[in-house]
Amino acid sequence: MDDVAGVIDQQPPGPEWPGNAAVRAEGLVKHYESRTGTIEAVRGVDLTVEAGEVFGFLGPNGAGKSTTVRMLTTLLSITAGSAFVAGIDVARDPDAVRHRIGVALQEAGLDPRQSGRELLILQARLFGIAPDAAAARTEELLALVELEDAADRRIKDYSGGMKRRLDLASALVHRPEVLFLDEPTTGLDPASRLTVWDEVRRINERGTTVFLTTQYLEEADALCDRLAIIDGGLIVREGTPAQLKADLRERHGLDSDPSLDDVFLDATGRTRSRVAGDVQEVTS
Amino acid sequence: MTQAWVLGQRALREGWRTPEALLPTLFIPLFFLVVNVGQAAKIFPAASTEFLYGQGYGAFQLPSSLLLAASFGTAALFLVEDIEGGYFDKLRASPVPRSAIVLGRLIAEVAKGALIAAAIVLLGVIFGISIASGPVGFVLLVILTALWAAVFVGFMQLIALKTRSAAATNSAGLVFFPLLFLTPNFVPRDLLTRPMEIAATLNPVTYLMEALRSLILRDLVWADILPGFAVVFVLGALMLYLNVRMIRNYD
Repeated sequence: MDDVAGVIDQQPPGPEWPGNAAVRAEGLVKHYESRTGTIEAVRGVDLTVEAGEVFGFLGPNGAGKSTTVRMLTTLLSITAGSAFVAGIDVARDPDAVRHRIGVALQEAGLDPRQSGRELLILQARLFGIAPDAAAARTEELLALVELEDAADRRIKDYSGGMKRRLDLASALVHRPEVLFLDEPTTGLDPASRLTVWDEVRRINERGTTVFLTTQYLEEADALCDRLAIIDGGLIVREGTPAQLKADLRERHGLDSDPSLDDVFLDATGRTRSRVAGDVQEVTS
Repeated sequence: MTQAWVLGQRALREGWRTPEALLPTLFIPLFFLVVNVGQAAKIFPAASTEFLYGQGYGAFQLPSSLLLAASFGTAALFLVEDIEGGYFDKLRASPVPRSAIVLGRLIAEVAKGALIAAAIVLLGVIFGISIASGPVGFVLLVILTALWAAVFVGFMQLIALKTRSAAATNSAGLVFFPLLFLTPNFVPRDLLTRPMEIAATLNPVTYLMEALRSLILRDLVWADILPGFAVVFVLGALMLYLNVRMIRNYD
């Protein structure tokens, strides 16, 4: 494991960054050119994620969640604004950012022709970890995500839940400071979803900051210390789940605490009416 | 370089584990060799055809088959799979030099190209073709074919990165056929009609074919061999540069 630590110690320093936020974005903008004109996917996102937090990033489909994550993880160029991750300017020094982050995107980025073990060793080697240390780290991670028995099977034969867990493990090979998870439980059955939640908690307990996008509000409620809701490319709410619920209760003079679903619908301009506790209608 | 080698090993495993993608690169060129020889061998008898240097017409046609075998560009289709499946983003989000991402695949393509070229040449030898330039010529033949495989896959990877589409990438591979037929494919350059001769002279694949042909039919004639290597080195450097630039600007 000394080799793993060595790789992290040798990371090149980034530009000076005041404060110890794990992620900070100011006026983050992403425009795409298309045949029909300019698409404003993200229109000026400001957010701060403190080190050690599990930060939830919520929003309806097409709100700009994934685009924001892709900018923060160096996968997309930034049209305007600034972003710092682990204290490093994403636009100025993307390679230094890549040393410090782990990324598990919406579609589990795995090579179906490799075995789980081969994929983790490869990923570790790409981060400059020596062969012996890479093999040892792989065994640790296989145990962490409970895939020891399937380690030598080709990934194409894995279930959706197994692929997600392997993707998570591959994002952790170099012990990242900040872990980006883009909808890590989409498409999983409830049991697999709970397993991923447990793993996210364990990872966070070890000191890793987690930036999580999700469409599942119960997931955000269960996992996140703080969250932000994005809609139409802009942050429309930010705070702890309790703060957001209390704020809605106060603004609407409700008798009981609303759910995070209510907060989300209110924040994104959607409404619903209830009849005897059942959702009757959701409208935009 | 370690990262390029690690990615090259991965690409080789990928090829080895997908034999259905590899086998046509061996059989289709052999099929064309048999068909072309069957159609034209009687027109060019070994005894009275000066440009055959005493060998059969199969020896003259072997370079076309080698170039065809090296121009399938299957690695570019694997790249499209990586893009569609999200693994390419995983690599881009890792601190891997962009040149290593390209070189990894090219290393594997050179290895696969060398293996297939060696197999085709050895099959040719079994069926009576001799390599006039000897063991050194055999090695040069394999190396030149393998380097061309890397150049051509570099071109197809550009299409893959630009379009992110398997269909478009596959179609781009067809560009090889005009390149192949605008060469002295069936007869030497000086026997072509004037317009075809001009086209062949402008076509870089001509110099490759003439280098390969020289290695098979004649001794080590460096004036024929070196232009072939110059073509693969110049085009190879260009493809590497363009691929790395495209990955750097990939959004």
